[in-house]
Amino acid sequence: MSIRPPTLREKRRYLLAVIDPAGTAIETKDLYYAVYEAVVSLFGDVAAEAMQPSVLAIESGHAILRCRRGAEREFAIALSTLSACRDCTLAVRVLAVSGTIESLRERIATLVPQEPDAPTQEGAGEGVPDADPCEYRFGTTPVEPVVWHGHKVDVIEKGFKNTRRLFLTTEDLEKIHATTIPDGL
Amino acid sequence: MKITDACVYPYPVGDSSVRRFALEARSFGYDSIVAADTPTAVVCGITVIPGVFLAGIPAKDVQSRVKKCRGTGTVIAVQVGDNGFNRAVASTNGVHILRGIHAADKRAFDHVAAKISADNNTALDIDLSPLIFGRGHLRQKAIHRYIDLMILYRRFEFPLTISSSARSVLGMRAVREVTGLCSLFGMDETDVQVALAGVGRVTEPAESIVKVIT
Repeated sequence: MSIRPPTLREKRRYLLAVIDPAGTAIETKDLYYAVYEAVVSLFGDVAAEAMQPSVLAIESGHAILRCRRGAEREFAIALSTLSACRDCTLAVRVLAVSGTIESLRERIATLVPQEPDAPTQEGAGEGVPDADPCEYRFGTTPVEPVVWHGHKVDVIEKGFKNTRRLFLTTEDLEKIHATTIPDGL
Repeated sequence: MKITDACVYPYPVGDSSVRRFALEARSFGYDSIVAADTPTAVVCGITVIPGVFLAGIPAKDVQSRVKKCRGTGTVIAVQVGDNGFNRAVASTNGVHILRGIHAADKRAFDHVAAKISADNNTALDIDLSPLIFGRGHLRQKAIHRYIDLMILYRRFEFPLTISSSARSVLGMRAVREVTGLCSLFGMDETDVQVALAGVGRVTEPAESIVKVIT
């Protein structure tokens, strides 16, 4: 079928969504399958066909999604039922709806910090504290921070068995100082 | 009117600390959260209300647990059971919320229990976790129960609460997303706003019917 002129094409809407937790490595194709499964399981095949959900790109932890105009609300509801992609738990939270991809890209540029690779301190932007040699613990559990975002810290439990990801704040973490070891030891 | 998530499970049951829940709740548009087995606190402007969630215990034991928690500001929520149990618990003074209606039998909460709940200011909880994490029959059953609940709600006007039952911050949903999910079973935006303020409605002391004029 030949490409139709712009006036005869279907109108589309583009959704900007942030992928939680930050730093999740996810393929566009995998997210598309997860989104499609969420739409089909909630609204069925006929509604999914009418909605035409699609994942266009994943950029800086944000996903740009597409649907047919008029179906944005239902698409957003279906996205809020998305809780996993392949074997990783995640949440897709819709931030904005637009008629063009370009405006969403501009929005991403305002949301993402300028230097995301730089190691950040508490209260700063997003990043991984590679330069910080301190070790941390949460309660009695030694943990390793993986993502800092303002006061929010995602950590991984250190250990052989329970190495799940924990979602904490900077106030929850306690530094383990080597200098606290008594002199006699 | 405080916008409240009526149930979250922080660490160690879940994988997120209370402070993190509060931070996320603020960004999602909530004013307060009810957290299981947590002392009362105000974190980042979010009021953390302690909650006790009772499940699988007889009505007599519910009364003794309520007596222990009386005067502590704790929100007491009880898992629904059969019809007789629900009527007994709904009429128990001090029980704030009946939870788990999505998993109950379809005759577990009828018009009599609804009337008792309305008279005693006991709220019915709408748990969003089966809508978010459930698929297939589980979610269909939950939506069906909530549609039935809304029919009774429109007739008897008992309090409603909405909870995410999140064990992780990834399970929490913003107020806008909650409004969308609740529209699946016929709640409009006004109903959602009222239901999100339901915890405040059931925990505030009841006004006396008789007023003494001096």
